[in-house]
Amino acid sequence: MVTMDPQIWLAAFFTIAATSYAFRDNAVFKFAEYTFIGVAAAHQIVMGVKNIRDYGWTKIMEGQIIYVVVFVLGIMLYARFHRDYYWMYRFPIAFLVGNGVGISIRAAIHSDFIVQVSETARTPLIAGDAMGTINAIITFVGAVTAIFHFIFTQEKLHVGAVGWIPKIGRWMMLLAFGASFGNTVMSRFGMYQGRVVFLLREWLQVI
Amino acid sequence: MSIWEKLTSLPREIVMTLVMLSIIVPALNPLGLPLMTGQMSQDWYDTIDALPADSVVLFDVGYGSGGYPSLGPGNIAAFHQMFDKDLKIVIMATSLEGTLMYPLVMAGVNPEGNYGAVYGEDYVFIGYIAGTQTAMAGVLGDLHDLVTNDYQGNPISGMPILDNVGGADDIDLVAYVTTSGDIAEGWVYQAYSQYNMAVVGGTLSMMTTSIKPYYDSGQLLGIMDGIKGAADLEFLTGHPGDAIVSSDILTFSQTLVLIFIAVGNISWFMTRKGGSS
Amino acid sequence: MDYKRDIPLAITFLVGVIAIGDYYTGIQAVTDTFNIIKNWGIVLQGFALGLGAVNLFRVHGKRISARKEGTDWIFSVVLLVMLAVHVVIGLITGQYEQGETYNWLYNSIYLPISSTMYSSLAFYMAYGAYKVLRARNFDAALLFITAVLVIIGNTPMFPAIYPGFFHMREWIFGPIVSGAYRGVRIGIGIGAVVLGIKTLIGMETGYLGRR
Repeated sequence: MVTMDPQIWLAAFFTIAATSYAFRDNAVFKFAEYTFIGVAAAHQIVMGVKNIRDYGWTKIMEGQIIYVVVFVLGIMLYARFHRDYYWMYRFPIAFLVGNGVGISIRAAIHSDFIVQVSETARTPLIAGDAMGTINAIITFVGAVTAIFHFIFTQEKLHVGAVGWIPKIGRWMMLLAFGASFGNTVMSRFGMYQGRVVFLLREWLQVI
Repeated sequence: MSIWEKLTSLPREIVMTLVMLSIIVPALNPLGLPLMTGQMSQDWYDTIDALPADSVVLFDVGYGSGGYPSLGPGNIAAFHQMFDKDLKIVIMATSLEGTLMYPLVMAGVNPEGNYGAVYGEDYVFIGYIAGTQTAMAGVLGDLHDLVTNDYQGNPISGMPILDNVGGADDIDLVAYVTTSGDIAEGWVYQAYSQYNMAVVGGTLSMMTTSIKPYYDSGQLLGIMDGIKGAADLEFLTGHPGDAIVSSDILTFSQTLVLIFIAVGNISWFMTRKGGSS
Repeated sequence: MDYKRDIPLAITFLVGVIAIGDYYTGIQAVTDTFNIIKNWGIVLQGFALGLGAVNLFRVHGKRISARKEGTDWIFSVVLLVMLAVHVVIGLITGQYEQGETYNWLYNSIYLPISSTMYSSLAFYMAYGAYKVLRARNFDAALLFITAVLVIIGNTPMFPAIYPGFFHMREWIFGPIVSGAYRGVRIGIGIGAVVLGIKTLIGMETGYLGRR
């Protein structure tokens, strides 16, 4: 028995509209697409305003008047749309970029470099059993050769006998990317099946 | 046109229809195939299982509507496990839609009804905080300096669950479920790298390979690997849901993809062979 | 000195150095300053969320006022109307996204479209696998082999028949993915750090936009 809930009907319409593009481009899909862009932008505004209220306005109400400076900087962000005062946008964006870069690179050195290199170096190549040893060697070879593949500034590393090292690195990465592709197939189908289950269970109510 | 050329020239509409049917048919007629649990999901489960009661978990709902079909069921299963173990859960959202995912997830968990949990004592939702890694650093640095109210505007001062939670030192585990690489890496950077905290992460399956190095090096103690991981968690926690249901659907749809790959490659080899001879 | 470029570059440097200093020095004054910067950054990010919407108004407003043939300007009207309606509903009640009407609209419109669009790539993956995924040469064959083995391992039917398929999938995710992606991750880390340092010292100025 098909549901009579208008919310479910609307959701089903938009689900089918968004799916229709897989068959061919059409006006119904375009309607859904433009609706989505508008609603997504609206959601950003709503959450942005709420964020400003919760983490900025409440601080001013608590007496931290310095946050007025933050509000001024925030408004200056919108100067980017003005032909003459565009440069004012650079001040808050410089703050955001400096903050973002500082916060991420300080830990990236540790997590993405030091820990990864130390793990590669300290994992023993000879494990307790034959399979463990093979796995350890493959992991080590994969890591080292993949790093060599990315050294583009030394041309000599990519030719001659030494050239085999980055070549093996490329092969290891291709094997890994194949695994990533396999997982991506599962991921996408896993997402879409949720929509189909919604249509069958909540809209058409056949399961 | 040879049979092989015909096989590789099916119109797009036919291919898409076959894909659609491969999802609809098993949804209508589930097979109930058994599941094999992956090691990454097992480690996620074991990490939470090892926490004593009243341990504090900081949980980030870092996904939105795009990831909900895959990650929502896993989020629900994870919360079932945490409430079952009487853990204290401080929930936040670094994703714009996290605050809208929260009621959907909580409707599936029903903590008050199923576990007698009390909001403000056993769990709290502090809402969306903009800034991704800035938000993470802010919460882990000094939660009460950053956050004044919960997601509904109620003051957090006086909420028993947050009385003794000031920052990283008072949190026993960080758990996140996200569709964003920034968030997945961000928690490793801000929680593990800065404070050496225990972290478990859930991501879409397609992102698992890129965060696997963190798991291999111990920076992540477990990974919920997309819908597969979600199904594993539902199985391990004893709360079957939409992820396990999806397994049958994935059987058909992925088998169809394998058939397409086989047909495409055999045809290609046969036409090449025919062409060269 | 060009204060319109040099002062922002100085701000980037100063803020970045304080963030890094908080991590490496543990000096309380630096940590306290960084706490302020963090909190300011969160508020600024809130302001930045509206930039996309303003740009949409500009672009689609121009399209509507021009009303050129073949530009789908009527859909631009749909976009702006939906945007305005949702903003008004979200802000007018003071409940933002927690409001009942906003939630209703989210579950009826945003969630279904977003999750469907995100996932409908499944169709293109299947079509691409059918049309393009070929073991044409050695490199493509390597990618092809692990892709097929992982898809088989991920498909519950095959491990149900023979569990070895699942163990093969787990093994591929063991040494092969771990090794190669560790190398990739180190490369990413080095690249990110180098780009970050170049940004902080003013060698990368793309974020400042045009002169």
